[in-house]
Amino acid sequence: MPDMNAAALAAHRFGFGPRPGELRTIAGDPRGWVKSQLAPTQALPPQVAALPAAEDDLLAFGRWLVQRRLNNGNAQQLEQRAARQGVSQQQLQTLTTEQDFVQSFRERVSTAVGARLEAAALSDAPVRERLVHFWSNHFTVSTIKPAAVALPPSFEKDAIRPHVGAKFADMLLASSKHPGMIIYLDNWLSIGPHSIAAQRPERARRLPGGQRPTGINENLGREILELHTLGVHGGYTQADVQALAAVITGWTYERARLPELVSIERGTRSGEQLFEFDDAAHEPGTKILLGRSYSQGGVEQGEAALRDIAGRPACAQFIATKLCRHYIADQPPPTAVERVARAFVHSDGDLRTTMEAVVDGPEAWATPFAKFKQPEEYAVTLLRAANVQTLPPNAGVGALVAMGQRPYAAPGPDGWADISDAWLTADLVWKRLEFAQRFAERLARADVNPIDIGEASLGPLMSSETRTAVQRAESPEQGLAILFAAPEMQRR
Amino acid sequence: MLNRRHLLAGAAGAAGAAALTFPAFAFGQAQATDKRLLVVILRGAMDGLAAVPPIGDPNYASLRGAIALGHGDILPLDATFALHMSLPKLKAMYDAHELIAIHAAATGYRDRSHFDGQNVLESGGVTPFSRTDGWLNAALGALPHSRPDMGVALSAQAPLVLRGPTPVATWSPSVLPNVGDDTVQRLMALYDARDPQLANVLHAAMGANAVAMDSGANGMTNASGGYRQIAPLAQVAARFLKDQTGPIAAVMDMGGWDTHANQGGAQGTLARNLALLDDGVGAFKTEMGPAWANTAVIIVTEFGRTAAPNGAGGTDHGTAAAAFLAGGAVQGGRVLADWPGLSASALYQNRDLKPTVDIRAVIKGVLADHMRVPNAALDSAVFPDSASVRPAQSLLRG
Repeated sequence: MPDMNAAALAAHRFGFGPRPGELRTIAGDPRGWVKSQLAPTQALPPQVAALPAAEDDLLAFGRWLVQRRLNNGNAQQLEQRAARQGVSQQQLQTLTTEQDFVQSFRERVSTAVGARLEAAALSDAPVRERLVHFWSNHFTVSTIKPAAVALPPSFEKDAIRPHVGAKFADMLLASSKHPGMIIYLDNWLSIGPHSIAAQRPERARRLPGGQRPTGINENLGREILELHTLGVHGGYTQADVQALAAVITGWTYERARLPELVSIERGTRSGEQLFEFDDAAHEPGTKILLGRSYSQGGVEQGEAALRDIAGRPACAQFIATKLCRHYIADQPPPTAVERVARAFVHSDGDLRTTMEAVVDGPEAWATPFAKFKQPEEYAVTLLRAANVQTLPPNAGVGALVAMGQRPYAAPGPDGWADISDAWLTADLVWKRLEFAQRFAERLARADVNPIDIGEASLGPLMSSETRTAVQRAESPEQGLAILFAAPEMQRR
Repeated sequence: MLNRRHLLAGAAGAAGAAALTFPAFAFGQAQATDKRLLVVILRGAMDGLAAVPPIGDPNYASLRGAIALGHGDILPLDATFALHMSLPKLKAMYDAHELIAIHAAATGYRDRSHFDGQNVLESGGVTPFSRTDGWLNAALGALPHSRPDMGVALSAQAPLVLRGPTPVATWSPSVLPNVGDDTVQRLMALYDARDPQLANVLHAAMGANAVAMDSGANGMTNASGGYRQIAPLAQVAARFLKDQTGPIAAVMDMGGWDTHANQGGAQGTLARNLALLDDGVGAFKTEMGPAWANTAVIIVTEFGRTAAPNGAGGTDHGTAAAAFLAGGAVQGGRVLADWPGLSASALYQNRDLKPTVDIRAVIKGVLADHMRVPNAALDSAVFPDSASVRPAQSLLRG
């Protein structure tokens, strides 16, 4: 028997809310609908497939850095450079460094943001897109860090998408080896204190500023333990942080060969293919990490260590807690966390099996509206409810910024907060109402019936109070605004 | 225009504006301080040698060349220093002993990247990106939690300086159209019936909008060329700080200081930006009213600019900068500087004003003596590993 209630719950809680007509499809088997989207796939949404490759992003950033140095270094030659670059001197002079930076990357980043939003809004597999967003936030690479500004989209495409529904350890390795993460968390700046590069500084690779790295940088090692695998209470010590940082010294990307690679392969490489192990920067010797000894040489040492970390019980507990917090409640029920953690352990970190444990349990289906949607989820919910077919460039980005969540721009490596306290605030909720109002204005026509849109999105989850408020609205526009701002649309 | 403000008048009349602002909280017992702090971050590196020209330095005129200010372009402070003529309101504060001009000041950061420099300035960390929280959030966290939001940022997202575990609010002008009063009332009724949490925050939003109303902030636009009015936003900041249950510290930022080309002298790009800053601080003082007497304003930038102009009539990224400390609580009317001079041998790396004042010392002095942040917190939680940077003394009255 079709279960419209469970269908609406599934669509909002595990996806981004339904597009019109989708609820009926889901209602035949809501759990099956969710689970059918948990398998790994190599297929990319067309919008995402069309984005530039990581090496293209990297090269663009390199070019900009060179240009910036020129700007800062020889202002006297402004005129000649202006002539060479085919811009008027006046134009060049008005371009400050910040403006130059923003102009150089605005289009690249906003195209990628548009692709992400459109993929989520149009997808027939919204559960998978939500998982992509979840894991992309778990392994945050943010445009906030200038050196990484161009990289979050290709990181998501290369390191996250192929592993959603596959093995966690593979995703961890893909993340830790991707130039996006290596740059965002500084591992390319890290050399072992007893490495060849440290003994003979001329062997250390130059950084874009011309200097050479001088020592170990713990940033990526620390965040792998604290944010990616074990959690801050996961039972590791500062000595473990140092050990892991030493284990992954030399994990970098092919920066010296980048221009050559782009010219040979025309920017077709993924970030994973760009990984390079720089033996000269690697700290030699055996390391003791979390009580285990790693005597392997080269990149194998780090690969073995990361796989071991991914297999620790604390990692299962940490991932299970985050998944249950995301899909069930800010304070996830311990029974659910235990079950999901067991599934993670028994499946050797298989993320499809692990997610099935979230879906199969009663908790996710027992408490509708326990979670307050994050701004991006909320915006995509409205796009789907309104049956939007295509997004104009830059659509919605200003509104998302106002609502507090510029895509790909999480404030720190811990990503966006996944609890309502962070989002249920006066200013941010007010901005949601403004967005709801604006979107209603765009959509309202005499033949648009707000109640129909509400029923197609919420089904039986629409409360009688909301229904009444929408019905009594003085215009279709006001009815849509009230529907879009209704608690049922903002929560899941 | 019927808008949120109109509705608020009625709502506030019914229940009291202060109670409406934060209805979900009752913090009556906690000791409330009457001291207030505004932090203004000038992004892009303000040219301190233009804002606070050392007009009496023998090398000033020759070093600055085409962008040197003449005696008709300045408002003199003492034998050495002056203010740019675009800062008349700050000059009036100086004359009223409410302004300290600080010079040759810098954080511990010695490279020249805006992003890294701002990160150090705001995080209070020793190196860029070494911390994810800001010094103001940490300082507020070391004080009694006397109100629901201890700080407020006048921006959509809290800037780094205010980010961290201590609860803070944000308020920003709307970029989207106002929601009609009637729609808001209908939604309020719906939330009251269905969702107490949403009802609470919507009430709080209405309260905040009531505090902010009439400032003109919602009408302000980002005019071309980056000349952004900050006075309306400064007024909003003042209203939040005056609110009985509102935050005790506010943060604003202002861009447009990265003057690599054609920065001008008495007139021009930089002069216009300085005038906007002056207007902003003036509007803030006016709006604070009697509470100005208990207020300090810290105005800082990430680093200074080259001592000599470049070939494009601008200045490039430098090291030491000028800063301001203003407010009725400030023991002003003086310049705080250990002036290194502008002779060729005195310049840092042969190009920049040499830093002789650690800006952290000034901020720590304000946090200690004005906000009463405990010293132990200042040396570690607020500015990590900064015990050797002693808080500047006697910045404040009595």
